[in-house]
Parts: sequence; structure tokens; C-alpha cells
Amino acid sequence: MTQLHVQSDGHEEHGHDHDHDHPEFLGHHWKNPVQQFEAGKLGMWLFLATEVLLFGGLFCAYAIWRSNHPEIFKYGSQFLDTTWGAINTGVLLISSMTMAMAVTFAARGNNRAVIVTLILTLFGAAGFMAIKYVEYNHKFHEGFYPGMAFYEQPHASELWMPLEETAIAKKAAIAQSEAAASTALAVEDAKRAEMPSPPADAQRWNKPEAAIGPQGMTTNQESLDIAEMAVFLPPSVLGNIIDQTGELQYAEHHTPGEPVHLAHPLQDPERPANAQKFFTIYFLMTGLHGIHVVIGGVVILWLLLKTMKGHFSREYYTPIDLGGLYWHIVDVIWIFLFPLFYLI
Amino acid sequence: MTTMNTRSLEQPTLEDNYLTYTRGIMSWVLTLDHKRIGVMYLVSVLGAFLLGGVFALLVRTQLLVPDGLIMDQDQYNQAFTLHGGIMVFLVIIPSIPAALGNFVMPIMLGAKDVAFPRLNLMSYYLWVIGALCMVYAMVGGLDTGWTFYTPYSIDESSAMSGVIPAVTGAFILGFSSIFTGMNFIVTIHRLRPDGMTWFRMPLFLWSIYATAVIQVLATPVLGITLALLAVERAFGIGIFDPALGGDPVLYQHFFWFYSHPAVYIMVLPAMGIVSELIAVHSHRHIFGYSFIAWSSVAIAIFSFIVWGHHMFTSGQSQLMNVIFSFITFSVAIPSAVKVFNWLATMYKGAISWNTPMLYGMGFIVLFLIGGLTGLYLGTLAVDIHLHDTYFVVAHFHYTMMGSALIGFIGGLHHWWPKITGKMYNENAGRFAFVLFFIGYNMTFFTQFMLGSHGMPRRYGTYPADAGFQTYHIISTIGAYIMAIAFFTMAGYFLASVFGGRRAASNPWGGRSLEWQCTSPPPHDNFSEQPAVGDCYDFSVLRWDDATNGYVWREDIEHPGMTHSEASGE
Amino acid sequence: MSMFGMLATMKLGEATSGGGFWMPENASTVAAEVDGLFYFINNVNYVSFALCVAILLFFAIRYYAKPSSHATFDPDAPTHNTPLELTWSVVPLLIVGVMFWLGMTGFLELMEAPSDSYEVRVTAQKWSWTFQHPEYGVTEAAELTVPLNKPVRLIMTSSDVLHSLFVPAFRVKNDVVPGRYSSLWFQATRPGQYRLYCTEYCGKDHSKMLAVVNVLPEDEFQERLGKLAREYEDIEDQDLPAYALSRLYNRCASCHSLDGKSGTGPSFKGLWDRTKKGSTVFTNGTSLKDLMGKGGEFEVPENYIRDSIVNPQRHIVQNYTGAMPTFQGQLKQRQIDALILMLKNLDQLVDDQGNVIEEPNLDNADISTGAQQ
Ligand code: HEA
Ligand code: HEA
Ligand code: HEC
Ligand code: CUA
Ligand SMILES: [Cu+2]
Repeated sequence: MTQLHVQSDGHEEHGHDHDHDHPEFLGHHWKNPVQQFEAGKLGMWLFLATEVLLFGGLFCAYAIWRSNHPEIFKYGSQFLDTTWGAINTGVLLISSMTMAMAVTFAARGNNRAVIVTLILTLFGAAGFMAIKYVEYNHKFHEGFYPGMAFYEQPHASELWMPLEETAIAKKAAIAQSEAAASTALAVEDAKRAEMPSPPADAQRWNKPEAAIGPQGMTTNQESLDIAEMAVFLPPSVLGNIIDQTGELQYAEHHTPGEPVHLAHPLQDPERPANAQKFFTIYFLMTGLHGIHVVIGGVVILWLLLKTMKGHFSREYYTPIDLGGLYWHIVDVIWIFLFPLFYLI
Repeated sequence: MTTMNTRSLEQPTLEDNYLTYTRGIMSWVLTLDHKRIGVMYLVSVLGAFLLGGVFALLVRTQLLVPDGLIMDQDQYNQAFTLHGGIMVFLVIIPSIPAALGNFVMPIMLGAKDVAFPRLNLMSYYLWVIGALCMVYAMVGGLDTGWTFYTPYSIDESSAMSGVIPAVTGAFILGFSSIFTGMNFIVTIHRLRPDGMTWFRMPLFLWSIYATAVIQVLATPVLGITLALLAVERAFGIGIFDPALGGDPVLYQHFFWFYSHPAVYIMVLPAMGIVSELIAVHSHRHIFGYSFIAWSSVAIAIFSFIVWGHHMFTSGQSQLMNVIFSFITFSVAIPSAVKVFNWLATMYKGAISWNTPMLYGMGFIVLFLIGGLTGLYLGTLAVDIHLHDTYFVVAHFHYTMMGSALIGFIGGLHHWWPKITGKMYNENAGRFAFVLFFIGYNMTFFTQFMLGSHGMPRRYGTYPADAGFQTYHIISTIGAYIMAIAFFTMAGYFLASVFGGRRAASNPWGGRSLEWQCTSPPPHDNFSEQPAVGDCYDFSVLRWDDATNGYVWREDIEHPGMTHSEASGE
Repeated sequence: MSMFGMLATMKLGEATSGGGFWMPENASTVAAEVDGLFYFINNVNYVSFALCVAILLFFAIRYYAKPSSHATFDPDAPTHNTPLELTWSVVPLLIVGVMFWLGMTGFLELMEAPSDSYEVRVTAQKWSWTFQHPEYGVTEAAELTVPLNKPVRLIMTSSDVLHSLFVPAFRVKNDVVPGRYSSLWFQATRPGQYRLYCTEYCGKDHSKMLAVVNVLPEDEFQERLGKLAREYEDIEDQDLPAYALSRLYNRCASCHSLDGKSGTGPSFKGLWDRTKKGSTVFTNGTSLKDLMGKGGEFEVPENYIRDSIVNPQRHIVQNYTGAMPTFQGQLKQRQIDALILMLKNLDQLVDDQGNVIEEPNLDNADISTGAQQ
């Protein structure tokens, strides 16, 4: 008989040879809107899978660090403000809900309601970022930078204002008179005045000297006690190993949530070694999440403009649906981040 | 009847195909047509291959004499790093899926385009940006090896300053690859026309599908790993740096979690191509279709859990070593299944020794060597001796170049008439294959002996009296022979574009859908949804002298007949 | 670099000339086993390869069809056969199962060092090896002396990036990781000298990070280490600079040149003059002059040099990074003195191009095996 029909209709508008109508929003290669919609949805799910995997790497890093150094995380999380974190969680949850509503309204073709709910969602995104800005700003102000920058400048600002202000205020009211408190402050002021340059042991944080990681000692430890190592290890390395004893003890002497007056880490003699790692992973993960919130915000804004121009209808609202999926995943990731950093 | 076929086949295509559909530079730069994007990928990938090849020849030339012939240490280290980086990230990973896959996959499937044409174009431009970053890395110098191992790569006093541009480039290339993979998965799931069931898909599509799954699931991990590496190097965050309490070996786990699956991203599509080559050019129904299809999926799954075999000497726990060794061996089985099925396909065939078939058979021989030498490396006690020697270098060239790249080159020959509408000179093709095959084995077989005798890899100089030099000289000569073969190939391909004989729609006798549209295909591939049958049932075809190609047999009803054709439109 | 030049031209006994087509000569207890396994896989592979290629060629020729004959399909040829598929899945599975098992048992043995092993501490740094014998208080560079027929365990760490210690003749290899200890063991079965390579890429001179394993019978071994242990004590004071140049400088050579070219670190040429004048400037902007003199950190320039060797991170010279590892615990007091004397008298020891003017004539020169300069 014949070969498969291969004559080309290239120069003509596509669709003339289709029995069904071919609406404008339908790409030329799709049979019908349902096919296009399903494909878009599958594509979005795959994309979300890659997003989860992207964060997955960081969650792995978090898990490994935390299991190696629980004390750093116990110590560091005290400096995060649970209240702001909780508020932000609420903000995101609500915006997720308004987003879901927008999708439902879009499916019903109620454009006005879509516009309202999208605006609300946008407020959620903006609010979240505003609060993050406040939090980040506070951290930077206090000198909580990621990585080694943490140790670079002795922070010049006032002492860190402890988080559990009320608890501490109560404790202070009962335990200390005004006078005692002010002397204590004066002493601290004096101490601070004497510290124009980094703490004397800041040298320890210079990269090449502190040359040994703690998990390192778990391999082949059996046959090597520290005394033996002293024979051939440079003191800088040895010093760091011995350091850990204190570091591990820290966790034992503190219970989470115990109302303490927090000294700034740089002046805190009980600060565990490598305390900066907490802030490193904190900024990495919340920062990456923040970038996703911003992208989500831009997407919602775009959807909003398109809706206002009347691009969407009951028949075609795929972008709103997909944008919603994306926004939910951003939300879900935060749901994991919040307890991991602020609560436990 | 025949005359009508001939007319409907040949006439429209002369002036009306995807190449001539629209004209002008912009119609290419902004094209959404998967075929044009495929061609742009093809040209770019071949350009990168030339660049990577030049670095390879520099490496080989340096090693002619023990003290190094042409470069100093730093230059040598950059040469092999750029060679490896370019070949892996710019050439072999995008070669089959993004270049050939983009071109033939939708047509084979019977779709008009990939699911997301815009995303497809974006993937291409991401590739370009990534490639530019890689090239820019050369400015600052890049000397980490393609693996970017920490703490070397994060230490500013060690590795050169090209690390950040390079990992940024690899990051972007990763996303290019992810988007291609996503696009293909959705296309295969959602754009199959009626009748194209999963088990009627050509095996190439199965392997592209398995590859896409790996691309989507493994590449993000590479992305975040490289991002962490860049942040670590820039800010010293202490994740991989032992001086800051980090763990350098953690990086290796992250890296190989991607890069082991990546080696199957390279070879799986090539295996898919070889399934097509062997079946079509043996004119014989593929043997064990479902076993080949499922073995692709099995390889994709297993590939995620063997990464530790690159780290047998890194000091990971003995138990991990044992487990990883065990799973590594299990990957050999699906590979073996494929090899045996290909052989069985040839049984009772009518085998034409066309150039693509030569590459198909060459693939089997070289993959046997590459795969079987993987077994030494998977064996714990033996790998301790062989790790990071030239034995490993030889192994991965046999698999990456001898298998993956040869699959690509074979596929290129196979689909060249479809892509360009021209036939290349068959004799030149066979000659280049023979030259390649000889040069190839001279270059890399010697490296097995080098490696087992203890020559470490990434060495720009070597002891003069260790007995290495003879092997190095043979290897270098082989590399030059191979280069001549590739230039010959480039020559006859170019010649065919300008002066080649016009290709028939179906010059080899293929049965999958791409052979049923004209060469080159029209803009929209198919004006009607084609109906599909068993794509390895070649009995419906016969040779037609008038068109110099295969046509549908008149005495068998064509399943794809549509009302418009029946009415003689 | 002449040290490496020497290495390259040295005769390394049978280790390099011997050996078969596939494997180099073996000189340790585990080597035979590893080789056995290698050859086992080899034979399996020869058979599988020959079988597959024979079938391939046979079919390709037997069923050859001239391209011009435009052959088509034989509809009678089989398209699947499940028992056959299962056979050719299960048989390779069994074969690789055996390979895995042998590889695993061999590996576990390779890892298990006998408890009475002689221990050597190895430090790798770009791009040299340091071997310490705690029992003798001896440190060797570029050469590792070990006893024959006795298990030796290396405990290794790195002071900068990853390295990997590989002795092909012993079939042993393990990565050397900064910040942790790794170990490997072997028992040499043949006296002689064997090459030791760094097999983990570590930067510029990775391919020159070579050393030699010197296997000596027990009594010779003890004698030699005893000699090495007393080496620097036995030297006359006036020979110290020459001693430092010939025996100690090779640990600095990868970074400090003698001819004025700056490398990873500043050249030794002119260093003493600069130090004496205090004109050296550090990265934080202070200059050496501010630190010297009574009450300063360094009363005399010698103290600064000593400090640079044992505590290099304290003051980093401008335009350089803190790449220098500490030599604390690796160099004895007298050896540091020798280095300082060498720096002081450098212009008498080497010429402008950094070539040694006069080969040192040291009493116990016989210690040198040529592995050192
Ligand atoms: C396309 C790429 C590709 C492919 C397909 C493979 C396939 C395999 N590889 Fe390879 N490999 C690489 C690319 C690839 N590899 C690269 C790039 C590196 C080094 C990276 C670097 O360090 O820079 C590497 C390194 C590497 C190592 C680490 C070596 C080291 O650094 O110490 C190991 C160890 O187990 C290994 C094993 C294997 C195995 C078991 C297979 C198996 O999948 C092979 C299976 C196939 C067969 C076995 C042949 C067919 C079977 C038969 C005909 C049946 C008869 C056989 C039997 C009797 C079983 N590979
Ligand atoms: C697909 C991947 C790939 C390919 C194809 C090649 C191809 C080649 N490789 Fe490469 N190689 C790697 C991947 C690859 N390599 C990797 C990953 C490493 C490890 C790097 C590291 O350690 O970090 C490596 C390392 C490596 C080494 C070890 C360096 C060392 O450890 O010190 C050597 C040494 O001989 C080598 C040689 C060669 C040679 C001679 C070729 C030749 O076959 C090249 C021949 C090609 C040409 C000469 C180009 C000709 C092209 C054209 C003319 C374009 C037009 C063509 C057409 C139209 C078809 N390679
Ligand atoms: C891995 C490289 C490396 C090695 C090996 C090394 N050094 Fe250095 N050295 C440096 C670097 C980099 C500097 C400059 C930075 C600094 O002051 O620490 C330096 C500085 C010095 C200085 C101070 C130089 C000045 O201008 O004030 C002295 C003295 C010195 N080294 C002595 C030695 C001696 C002695 C040895 C061997 C026993 C040695 N070094 C081995 C890298 C090295
Ligand atoms: Cu040290 Cu390579
Ligand atoms: Cu692998």
C-alpha cells in the first residue's frame, strides 16, 4: 500500500487537519488540552523531585554534622529566635492555603477570587521574606556569619539580647538586685573594652593549624592513644584533638531550653569547638530556601498579572495549578527546616 | 502504487523539510523544533569533542618521554583536567540524549515534538553557558582532575583559581541535563500516540527513558555538591575542609553518588543505539526484546547503589567496601544479558556490513573489554592494587570512549541520512572505522599493562627505568592514528553535506517510525498520528531500486494508512 | 630537583625489571594471593571474551549479506527464548559471585595487620613523604627502610591534601587523608629496593612524589636505623651546614629554592640577610624589625628562623600563604640548628645558580643510599 502519510502541512496553520478544535493555548504538538495538562503536571512533579533532591544533599549534610557534633547544634540553636520562626511557619502555611484556594477558584473560572487569593499569597511570600530579613539582619549585626567569617571580627555591637527574655527577666528579678546586675554589667563592659582585637586564641581558627577533624579519630583509634600520637603529631593537631573532650562535655552540662543568659559565642568560654558550623548550615539551608521563596513570589506575581489580563479560564489554568504545586513544595521544605534548626 | 509512494516520499522533501522550513539565523537561534535543537547540540558537542581531543593529544605527546616532552607539571595537570572535564560534561553526557536523542526520539515515538519545546531550547542554551564557564575556567587554570576532590580543590594555596568557574559550569550543565531528562520522561509518558504501547517502543527509547530517570534523580545531588564546593572554597564554611572540622571523604561520597550513575547515563543510550544498529543491519527481529528493555531499567536502578566502588582505598569502612563490591558485580548481569541478546539477534540474520553495523560490532568487542575489566576493579583485593593506576584509565576509556562514544558515532552514521538527507561515502566510512579500531586498541590496551605494572594516573612524568616508556610510545602512536580516523570521518561527513547522494527515506531498512517519514523529516514530523506496529518486524519491507531504499511491501496492508491517503490526497 | 633525577636513574633491583606480562614482580606475602585472584579473573575473562567474539565473528561471516543484495528479513528466526535468557543470566551471576567472594576474603586479609607488626608513622605533604620510626627516634624522607620477613604497619596521615601510598611490588595502597589516620600493612619477602608512588592526585608535583622502600634483612635493618638515629649527633659542628644541605634540605626543596626563584615559599637565597636586617614584611603589615630586639618576640634573628620552622603559621611572609607545615617533632633540636647554620652560610655552600659548590664529605656518608641528595 502506501508509506505512512508524510506529506507536510508545514506552511499552513497547524490544526486544519484535526477533527477537534485546537485552542490557542494548546501547543501544536498536543492532541488535546487534557494531554497538555497532564504532561505539564508530570513535568512539574519531576521538577519538584529534583528540588527535593537538591535540598536532600543539604539535609544529608545536616544529618551527618549533627550526628558528629550534637553539641554544636544544641549550642547554636539557642541563638535562633523561635518566635519569629514560628510566625514564619504560620505565614507560609496560610499562604499555602490561599494558594490552594486560588487553584480551586481557577478551576471554577472565578477570576476575581483568583486575583484576591493570589494577592494574599503574594503577601505571605513578602511577609516571610521580610521576617527573614529581620532575622538575618539581626544575626549579621551580632556577628553570626557563616563559616570562618564568624571569627573574623570581634563583634562590636552590644551584647546579644537573650531570646528567652521573659524567663531571664524573671530569673534576674528574683535572683539579683538592681545593684548586683549593674556591677555585673560594668565588669562585662570592662572585659569587652579590653578586647580590641580577636580573642587571643583566635589563631587557632587559622585554617592550617587546626588540622584535624573529630570523626577522624574514629578510624583506627584502637591502637593509637593520644600519648602515642604525641610522638609524632604537631602540637597544633594534638591540641585540637584534646579540645574535643571539653566540647563533648558541654552538651552534658546543659539541657535544652534551660534559661541561661547567653554570652556572645566569641566571649563564651563554654562555646564548643567549631561552633560556626551551625550558622554555616543554617544560612546555607535557609538561604537556599529563601531563594526559592523569592522565585515562588515572582511566579505568583506573573500568574497574577496573567490572570488580570484574563489569560486563564476554566478550560485552561495549568500554570496556576503548577505554580501552586511549586509553592507547596517550598512550604513543605520550610516545615522541615523549622524544627531542625529552631526546635531541636 | 509504487510510483505514487515514490512521489509522495520524495517530492515534498526536496524543498520542504525541517531544514528549509524557515530561513535565516534567527530561525535557528530561536527555534523550538526538536530537530533543529538536536542539530545545534550535535554541532556543539562535536566541537567540544575536537577540543577535548586536542587536550588528549597533548597529554599523549607529553608522555612520550619519561621527563615529559612538551609541558611542565602545571600545564600537564591542566591538560588532563580539561580533557576529562570537557569529555565528560560537555561531550559524552549530552552526546546521545541531547543531540541524537533530541533528533530521533520524538520521531521514533510518533510525536510532533518533545513535551516542552521551550524548555528544550533553554537546555541547549544552558549547555552553551556551561560550556563558556568551562572555557573561562581555563583562564584561571583548572588543575583538580575532573573529580574536583577535596580538600585539594577548596584550598586556594593548592588548586588554581579556575575551580569556581568550572564547578559553576558543571552545575549549569547539570541543570541542562536535568531539563533534558525531564522533557524526555514526560514526552515518553504523555506523547505516545495511540498504538505505541510501552512494549512497542524501540529499545533506543527504553534506554533513553532509563537514562532520563537517572539524569533527573542523580544530577541534583551533583548540583548541590558542586555548589557546596564553591561556597566552601569561597567562604571556608567547613563542610569538606578537615582543617575546619569538615570531612573531605564526604565529598567523594556526594560526587560518586552522581558520577557513578553518570557513567550509565553515558552508556545506556549507546546500548539503546546498538540494539537498533544490530537489529536493523542484521535485518532480523531483535532477540529478547523485553529482557533488553528491562535490563536498562535494572541498570538504572542498580547504578544508584554502587558508588562506593570508587572509594575502596579511601578508608571507608570495610563493611561498606564489601557491600559496594557485591552490588557492583550485580550490575554486570544486566549488561551481560544485553550482550548475549545482541549476539543472538545476529543469528540467522542477513548481516550487511554497513558502517553503522561495524560500529555496532565494534561496540560489542570494546564493551566486552571495558566491562570485563570492570570486574577486576570490582574485586576488592585486586582493586587495591589497580586503583588510580592506568588500569582504571584504560577501563574507563574502553567503556566511555570504546562503548559510549562509539555508540554515538555509530548512531551518527545510522541517522546521518535522516538528519541531513545525504548519504556519506560508505567505503570511506568503513576505512575510518578500521583505522579507528586499530588506533583505539593501540592507545588503550597498552594502558592495561601500564596500570597493572603500577603506573599511577595523572602523572606528567614517570620513572625512566620502570619499563613504562615502551607502552607509552605505542599508546601515543595509537592516539595519533585515532585522530587521523576522526579527521577522516569529519571529512567525509562534510563532503556528504555538500556533494553527497540524496538519501532515501529508509536507506537501511529500519522499521521504527523515523524511517517512515522523509529524509530529512518535514517540520512537523507527521501530519497525522501515525499508527504503530512491531518496530522490529522487518518482514513488511522490501528493497526498492527506484528510490534506493526500502519501502513497504505492496502485498501487506499498511497499518498507518489514513483516510487522507486512502482518498489519494 | 636533582634528588628526583637521582631517583629516576637509580637501579631498582628486580622490582622493576622482573614481573610478568600482567603483573610486576611480587615481593610481599599478600602479593601472591592478589596475583592469583587477578589471574583467575583473567582466565574467566579470556574465556568469556573469546566465546563472545568468536560467536560475533562467526555470525557476522556466516550470515553475511552483501549490502547490494538488499537482503530482508527471515521471519522464521526466533525472537525470544526464556530458558536461554535465564541460563545466560544465572551462569554469569554464579561466576561473579565467586569473584566477589574471593575478592572479599582476600581484602579482609589485606586489612588485618598482625598484632606484632613493626610500626612506622607516615606523614605525607605536598610533595614528599616523611617516615618516622618511633622505636628508633629516626625520621627518614624519600626513603623508607623496613625489615625483611616481618609485618610492617604504616600509620599514615597527611598535613595538607589527599595523597595515597602505593607500593606496586607489595600490591598495597591506601589513601592518606588529612585529619585522620589510615593504615596499611605488608610483609616484604625479598630484600631490595622498591618504588613507592603517590597515587592520589595532589597537585603540581604529584608525579614526583616518589620514594623508595628499602627492604633489609633484620640485622642490617637494625644497624642502619641505629646509624640513622645517631646520625646528627655524630656530626662535627663545622660539618653541620653541609649536613643540613645534604640530608635535611630535601624536605624543604619542594617549596624553597636555593637560586632565588620564589616557589611555594620564599627562596632560601638571601633569606638570612633579610632576616638579619629585619626587613621581612608579614601579611598583617608588621615587619620583622618590630618583633626583634630585647623584649621583642624574637631577641635574635635565629629565633625567628627556629620559629618559622616549628611554628610557621605565626607569621606569614607577605605574598605567601600559610602553606608551610610545621616541622615540630620531626626535626631534632640539633637538626634545626644545622638548618639555621645552613641558611647563614648558604653563600658558601651553593653558587649563584643554587648548585652545590662542594659535595659534602661527611664521615658517615655511607648512610646515604642515593635516595637523598
Ligand atoms: C560508560 C562508562 C562506564 C561503564 C559502563 C562502566 C562499567 C563498569 N565499571 Fe567502571 N568506571 C568508569 C566508567 C564506566 N564503568 C569510569 C569513568 C571510572 C573512573 C572514574 C575516575 O576515577 O576518574 C570507572 C571506574 C570503575 C571502578 C573504580 C576503579 C577505581 O578507581 O579503583 C570500578 C570498580 O568496581 C568499576 C567497575 C565497573 C563495572 C563492574 C562495570 C560493569 O557495569 C561492567 C559490566 C559489563 C560486563 C561485565 C561485560 C559484559 C558481560 C558479559 C559478556 C558476560 C560475561 C561476563 C561474566 C563472566 C560476568 N569502574
Ligand atoms: C568520553 C570521554 C573520553 C574520551 C572520548 C577520551 C578520549 C581520549 N583520551 Fe581520555 N580521559 C577521560 C575521558 C575521555 N577521554 C577522562 C574522564 C579522563 C580522566 C581525567 C582525570 O584524571 O581527571 C581521561 C584521561 C585520559 C588520560 C590519562 C591522563 C592521566 O591520568 O595522566 C589519557 C592518557 O593517555 C587519555 C587519553 C585519551 C586519548 C588519547 C583520547 C582520544 O581517543 C581522543 C581522540 C579524539 C580526537 C583526536 C578528536 C578528533 C575530533 C574531531 C576531528 C572532531 C570532528 C569529529 C567528527 C565529525 C566525528 N585520557
Ligand atoms: C609545603 C611547602 C613548604 C615546605 C616543605 C617548607 N616550607 Fe618554609 N615556607 C613555606 C611558605 C609558604 C613560607 C612563607 C609563609 C610563612 O612565612 O609561613 C615559608 C617560610 C619559611 C621561612 C621564613 C621565610 C622568610 O622569608 O622569613 C623559613 C625560615 C622557612 N620557611 C624554612 C623552612 C625549612 C627549614 C623547611 C624544611 C625543613 C621548610 N621551610 C619547608 C613553605 C614551605
Ligand atoms: Cu601526593 Cu599525589
Ligand atoms: Cu562506578
